[in-house]
Formats: sequence, structure tokens, C-alpha cells
Amino acid sequence: MVESKQQWKAWLYLAPAIVLLLIFTVWPIINTVRMAFLEDYSIAIASGGETSFRVSLGNFVKVAQYQDFLICLKNTVLLCVITVPVSTLLALLVAVALNAIKPLRRTLQTIFFLPYVTNSIAIGMVFAAMFNIVGSVGTRRPLIQTVGIINNVIQFFGGNYVNWINNGSSYWANMFVLIVYIVWNALPFKILILLGGLQSINKQYYEAAKVDSTPRWRVLWRITVPLLSPMIAYVVITGFIGGFKEYTSIVGIFGESLGPAHAPGRLNTMVGFIYEALEQHHQGRASAAALILFAIILVVTLINLQVSKKRVHY
Amino acid sequence: MKKLVSILLVLVLALALTPAMAEGPAYDGSEVTITFYNTMGTNLTPVLEKYIAVFEAMYPNIHVKYSSIGSYDDVRDQISTELSRVGIGTDANIAYCYPDHVALYNLYKAVRTLDEFIDSTAEVTRADGTTEIMGLTAEQKADFIEGYYNEGLQFGDGHMYTMPFSKSTEVLYYNKTFFEANGLEIPTTWDELEALCEKIVEIDPMSIPLGYDSEGNWFITMTEQLQSGYTSATEPHFLFNNETNQAFVKRFREWYQENYVTTATLYGAYTSGLFTSTGEIKSYMSIGSSAGASYQRPAKGADGQYPFEVGITTIPQADPENRKVISQGPSVCIFKKGNVQEEYASWLFVKFLTTDIDFQAEFSMASGYVPVIKSVNQNATYAEFVASADGGDHVTALSAKVCLEQEDAYYTSPAFNGSSTARDEVAGLITKCLTIGDDKDVDAEIQKAFEDAVAKCEYSL
Amino acid sequence: MSQQTIKVMQSRDLKRTTNKQTAGHAIGTVGIYIFLCIMALIVLFPFYWMVISSLKSLTEYRLSKPTFWPQTLLLSNYRDAFTTASLGRLFLNTAYVGIVSTLLSLVVTIITAFAFARLEFKGKNLLFAGLLATMMIPGELFTITNYLTVSSFGWINTFTALIVPFLVSVFYIYLLRQNFLQIPNELYLAAKVDGTSDWKYLWKVMVPLALPTLISITILKMMGAWNSYIWPRLVANDEAHRMVTNGLRNAFKDTSGEVNYPVQMAAVALVSAPLFMVFIFLRKYIMAGVSRSGIKG
Repeated sequence: MVESKQQWKAWLYLAPAIVLLLIFTVWPIINTVRMAFLEDYSIAIASGGETSFRVSLGNFVKVAQYQDFLICLKNTVLLCVITVPVSTLLALLVAVALNAIKPLRRTLQTIFFLPYVTNSIAIGMVFAAMFNIVGSVGTRRPLIQTVGIINNVIQFFGGNYVNWINNGSSYWANMFVLIVYIVWNALPFKILILLGGLQSINKQYYEAAKVDSTPRWRVLWRITVPLLSPMIAYVVITGFIGGFKEYTSIVGIFGESLGPAHAPGRLNTMVGFIYEALEQHHQGRASAAALILFAIILVVTLINLQVSKKRVHY
Repeated sequence: MKKLVSILLVLVLALALTPAMAEGPAYDGSEVTITFYNTMGTNLTPVLEKYIAVFEAMYPNIHVKYSSIGSYDDVRDQISTELSRVGIGTDANIAYCYPDHVALYNLYKAVRTLDEFIDSTAEVTRADGTTEIMGLTAEQKADFIEGYYNEGLQFGDGHMYTMPFSKSTEVLYYNKTFFEANGLEIPTTWDELEALCEKIVEIDPMSIPLGYDSEGNWFITMTEQLQSGYTSATEPHFLFNNETNQAFVKRFREWYQENYVTTATLYGAYTSGLFTSTGEIKSYMSIGSSAGASYQRPAKGADGQYPFEVGITTIPQADPENRKVISQGPSVCIFKKGNVQEEYASWLFVKFLTTDIDFQAEFSMASGYVPVIKSVNQNATYAEFVASADGGDHVTALSAKVCLEQEDAYYTSPAFNGSSTARDEVAGLITKCLTIGDDKDVDAEIQKAFEDAVAKCEYSL
Repeated sequence: MSQQTIKVMQSRDLKRTTNKQTAGHAIGTVGIYIFLCIMALIVLFPFYWMVISSLKSLTEYRLSKPTFWPQTLLLSNYRDAFTTASLGRLFLNTAYVGIVSTLLSLVVTIITAFAFARLEFKGKNLLFAGLLATMMIPGELFTITNYLTVSSFGWINTFTALIVPFLVSVFYIYLLRQNFLQIPNELYLAAKVDGTSDWKYLWKVMVPLALPTLISITILKMMGAWNSYIWPRLVANDEAHRMVTNGLRNAFKDTSGEVNYPVQMAAVALVSAPLFMVFIFLRKYIMAGVSRSGIKG
């Protein structure tokens, strides 16, 4: 009796979210699945009156046949696997550090809020100023207008400038810039979440550690991290889900060509492919690619959840 | 007998006197509201509003609304999304468009062909009692700049889908002060350009003589000038992988390697910035949009003078006898509607905006784009504007003047589904091939790049 | 060496280590400040760039070699920004949508997260997994379907279309659930014994305890309203409902139809300023912490 009353009440709590999700999320997903299995489905053609799309796996075959499919897959996985741990670790350090200081605390906290009101166009421009070499790069007699701030710093310390994103740049130089950019973009959000999480930790734990004069890093590792583990798990899991959908950052740095001048398309990702297919009005193809991506993210998330089950302390 | 003759005579006279039967659709004066989607910013909407008022005074039952929507691509996305509402379609009656947008709308079977309207000789009565014919008079047709007008016919089926609204093209900007000081000739062909670049690099080894803003335009224009094949609106669509095209790309590669030329992507910033630069590294020529003339003018120095005078001319050609320059800028299309009177009213408004000398003149001066009709010089203010052309304060007028003088040279590319992919791919081809290093097998790499590009285009279909 | 000396040396060593520890602590503190300052500079740089860009002329903005300080400070950009776009209207629309959607969204998020964190029901884990799964499909694919739905509801050009479709965010539900799970079960069971209803417990105990997270959600959600572009453009692009980002895109085009970025930046800075004030105000509550309530952790 009590049991069923609980049940009934739980569903009442869930009702608003479920209704809205059914309409605005589940229904589009059903539609996506439908389009994925209709060969060469295009909303434009369907709206134009064509209704006879064959049910088949044709779209999936088409996606797999894309000449850069493996490149997209590789970039997607690499970016995700590198940026999520790096950004989480940095955000954790900043959040803990912010929590540990007394003077300047307010000022610094305020500064870490500023990225929220910074326009994304400005962020793109900053990267051009930082990494972009302007000039005739890679010709027989290179004429260089500016090598960017980062290279200026390298030269200041006596090093040679690095070709980060321009003509002739290496794949890993490109990746490095992308990683910096993505981590940078992800930091403010993660700091905010972890900082909020830290406030829920009882100060008594730290006082105990103080008495023992435990070294800081050990406090961090033995007390803070375990107590913060639910939030860290959250940041990591959602980070992976978001990381697999990386695309806009690549456009932000390399433009629509998705690669340096000598190798356009080299940094394309799965979502980049999906965008391209949508742009070309191949909704069927885009949906099929989305389902493939979904399968990948699902597997990774299941592994993440399995790990966090063992490591997260509520 | 006499009677019969006189009756016949009367009949013949009557027939001769009645004007030819008016034919074709005509707006019947009913109450309609039409909506115009465009990308105009707050600098242009006042002009549009002014002429909407003029039009509504002529046709008080037609109410014109407009909606400003971000960029050209935003308009395309907005309309294609609206069109996916089966049975409702888009809220727009008229929209700014590029040819590949129309190719997309055609998949929805949503665009009204204009031939019937253009040919209609039926009369429509205005509020003041005067009349006009629904279609275009022979005079009006001839007044359009041919290359612009023909854009509407690029869809492979011989039908007219769009009307040119306001246009731009590419022009060659050059540093007139530098050219005169060194006694340099303005290049008219690519061969002359090559020789000129060699000379300029000798004079100033720190220069990259020419900056070409758009890689895509460069490739497409070359195929047009060389008549070597780019795309076709009918199958096979992608014709650009051929020896002539590979050859000019190879030639440009040599130019890039020798610092004769750069492009926006290769340079890593706006090429206009290189042209107007007062630093050590700069260019002396720049090929860019005619609508961006003010960007190609250097900033005034501390003495209030421009560091150099800007000259503008037609871009270099393969065959100076048969010049080809690209036609860019918005056209407008009309959407099918359940109520045909809305279509007719839309056409009247489109016809008004594209053929009205005062609107075309005023809009051109406000936008930096060029008018689509030749008679715009009859507008006194515009004539004065063009007459004021110089390489300093009135550089936009100079650009307009050059555009009007090359009216025979405009071309447009075929429009079909996949034409925008082709454009992206050939732009990538330019940067990819120009940057092939000397240590590589240049011919083989170019060959491969072309094959890959065609494969990508085919895949997109 | 005698036993004695060894002992002395040993004690000296001991002393040294404690000295070392305090010194290490001080160095650590300095290290923390250095680290924070470097990170602060890094996150500040784009903001700085936005501000200086908003003061540049368009010509300067387009230079090949970017300038780090405007050659001439063009304060008129701000005046242009204010007069060109009807910023007041855009601001009010955005604030309205932002506030209403944030409030409603908070309520939905709170009750849903509570159900997942504290209530027992059949299929809970499965349902939660399903929720997470919805995040794994790129949202771009939903746009047209949602547009058709909203259109069939007759919501085009209404605030409803801007608010309702995004009220539920699995992202925030998940976040709050994690926070709720951190609150010890003992509290809940004690409340049960006291006869406190779930509803009352949720609002009287759990919500105050989760305040920092709720404020984070508020900030993120508000920012979402400020930055959204594609959806508002599709469903509500009329004068009465237009949002900031849409308005700004159209307003600042120069003669050739290109966006005048410096003026646009000025406009962005102008409309973001009130938002920043709100953040500063809310920051206090995030940092206030909840330790006083004496929960575990």
C-alpha cells in the first residue's frame, strides 16, 4: 500500500519533465531514427511530395563510405579523450585553490566569472591573435607579418616560432591548439560546478587535517576529491558526452574548411560530418551518423558509469 | 455587294484598331499582405521602407511587410525550415536568394517561375487610375544588365526563377601612387599580371604584389574565362577536373611559391589589410568585392591625407576580347501561394523594386552594391555620385563606376543541388594545390587533389 | 660519535622537518596564488579582447597585425550600439524570457532531481539511463521536428515557443541529482520519523542545502537565454519577441552588408553588463556555503 503510494507520488514528481521530454526530445529522436532507416531521406524532397523512401540500411552504408569517415572518428575520439581529463583536472585545481585562499579571494572569484559574459566572437578573435601567423607561410621566401603572441613569447625565450595552424603546420600542432581552445572553453563551467560542490563539503574535515598538519596535496587527494566525487563524476561524464560532439571549436579556429590551408578537412569530426550532411539536405545520412555517434557515446558512458559506481562516494 | 464590302472594311478596321488581346495573369486589386525576407541592416531598411510607401500608394490594397534575418544563409535556413511545414509552407512571399538557395527551395517545389509574369501583357490599374502592364516591357527587359538578368535562368530547365535585386562583383584594386611612381602598366591579362608581379617583387622584395580575397571565386572565374568547364545544372554536374584547370592551378602554385600572390586563407587575414598596410610587408594589388571598396582604402595618416591613392579596374582576363567577371549579390525569388493574387502582388512589388530607377539608385548608394539596370544614371543624384568617383574619399563611387563600365562581362554559374559544395571544394583545391611544396611531385598531387574534390562533390549528391 | 650526539642530531633533524613543513606551506600558498593568477589571466584575455575590440575602429579591427591597445579609443561605438539597435526592447525581451524560463526550469529540475535522488519507484535506473541517453544525440537534428511541433501548437512568434521547449534539461537534472545524493540519507529518514512530508522536506531541507548548485544552474540558464540564436531566430523573429543575439546580428551591418564587429562588441558589452552584476550578486550565495547546516559532505 505504502509502496504503491510512493510509486504514484514519484511519477507525479516526474510528470512535468516527462511530458515535456516526450514532446520536445523523445519525439524528435523517434523522427531521427525513422529518417536514419529511410534510404536517401531528405526533408526537402519529402516535403515536395515524394513519399516513397525505401526502408534500408543504405544511409549507414553511405556514412561508412565517406572518404574521411575514419578521420572524423579519430579526431572525435582523440579530442575527447585528451580534453576531458585535462580540463577536469585544471578546473579542480582552480576550484580548490580558490577555496583555499583568503586575501584576493573575492577578486579572483569575480574574474573567473567573467568568461560567462564574454561573447564567443571575441574568443575566436583572440585565438587568431594568439596562434595565427599572418604572411606568406611556406613559400620559397616566407614573408611574415606577425607570428602571434604565443610565438612572440617563444621567441622571447630564444626559441623558434612554431607553425600552429597555418599552411604547413603539423597535425599535432593543430591538435594542440584545438585542445587548448576546448579546455579553455570548458574551464569556466567546470570551475563553477566544482566550486559549488566544494561549498557542500563540511569544513570539519579540513580542520581535522589541519591539526594533523597533513600536506596539502594529500588533503586534496584523500579528502577533497572523494568528497567531491559526485560532482567530478558529473563533470567527467557530461564532459565525455559533450566532447564527442565537438565541432564548433574547430570552426572557431580553422573556419569552415576544418583544417589548415594545405589540408582542408583534416580536423573534421563526427558532428562536423552531421552538419555537412544537414547542409546538403541529407537528413537521412545525418541521422544515421547521429545514431552511430550515439552508440559510441553510449558505450563510453556505460563504462564511465561503471567506474564511477566504484569510485563515487555519496 | 457594296454593303458587304463596307461591312468587311469596318470589321478589318475594328480588328486593326483593337489592341492585341491582353494575355497572361494580372493582379485584380484584391486585398493582400505580402512578406519580404531579406538581410538588410538598419542602414538599408529606411530606404526599403520609403519605397514600400511609394508602392503602397500605387496599390493601396497590397500591404508589404518585411523581415530582416541575419545573413544570406540564415534566410535560407529560415525558409527551408518553414517549408518543411507540409501544406503551410513559408511565411515569405518574396525572399533574398542566391542561386543555390533556389535550387534547394525547388526540391520543396516551392518557387514560382516568373516567365508567365514577365510575358504577361494584361493591364493592372493603379490607385491614381493609370495603368501598367503586368509583365516587363521590351524596354524594361533590355534595361537589365544582361549577366545579372540571366542568373534567373541558370537552373537547367530554361525557366526564369529569380530577378536580380542588387549586385556586386570582383574588381582589381591597385596602389595608383605606387604604379605611377614606378611607371607600371595596369594589367589586363593574367600574362601581363605575371610579368608585373615579377617587376614589383624586384622593386620591393618585401611585397606580395597581389592579394586575392576569395579562392572560390578565383577558381570559378578562371574556368569561365578559359571556357574550360566548372559545373553543369544537368548531369554530369561536375566538370572541373580537366587538364586546363589543373594547368592554371599549377601556374598559380608557382606564383604563390614566388610570393607573387596570396589569398585570404593562405595569408591568414583579410587581404585588404595587406593592401592597405603601411608596414614593411604589403601588396600593391588586391582583388576583392566591389562592395568592399572602403576596406581597400588606407586609413588617413596624421596629416589627414591618404597614404596612397586607390585605383580600380576590371580583374585580369584570359581573353581581353571576351571578358568575364563574377556576378554576386542577392536576387529575389517569389514563393507559390494558395492565393494566386498574393503571387501576382509579389511580382508587382519585385518588378517595382528591380525596375524603379530611383529605388535602384538610392539603394545602391546606401549599400555599396551596384544597380541591376543601366538607366539608373538618369537619376540625377546617382549620376552625380558616379561623377564624383576618385581614389580617396569617393572610392565607393569609383568602384560603382568600374562595375557599370564592364556590364558586358558578368557571368553566373549553374545552380543545382550540390553547387554550393562544388564551390567549397574548388576553394579548398586552390589552397591545397598552391601550398604543395617543391619537394613533392606537384603534378601527381594536383591530380589527386582534383580527383578527391570531385569525389567529395559526387558524394554530396 | 657518541650516542648523545646522534640523539641531538636526530632531534635537530626533526625540528628541521617541521620547519620545512611550514616553509613548504608558505611556498605552497605562493604557488597557489601564482597558479590562480596565471589561470585568471588566461580566462581574462578574451574578455579583455572583447572590451578593446569594442573601442576600435572597423579599419583597425581589420588590420593584419592585431593591436593590443586601440590606436584611437572610439567611445562612439557605444553610442552607435545604443542608438542603432533598439537595445532597450531587445534587453527586456531577453530578460523576460531568461527570468521566466529560469524560474520554471528550476522548479521542474528540482522536483525531477528529487524524484531520482530520494524517491523509490520501479524502473528508476532505467529511466535515468534513458534520460542520459537523450543527451547523446546531437541536438541539431531536433530543430526541424521541434519547429514543426511548435508551429502546429500555434506558438510561432510567442514567448511560449522560446520558453517551453527548453524547460527540461537533463544536464541540470543530473547535476542537481548528484548534489541531492550528497545530502545524507539520515536527514531524510529523520524527517520521515518526524512526519515531515516529502514535499516539505524537499523545499525546507534539500533546496537550501543545494543552493550553490541551484545558483550555478540559474547562471547557466540565464546565459543560455542571452546566447541563444538559432532557435529564437526560427520561432520568434518579430519586433515584439526578438532576442538580443538576433537583434545584434542585424543591427550593425556596414554599407557592404558586413557586420561591424567593434560596434557589435560594444553592444554585447552593454547588454552583458547587467547580467554580470547579477552574477556578482549571486556569487555571494554560491560562496556562502552550506556547511553551517551541518551536513556530512
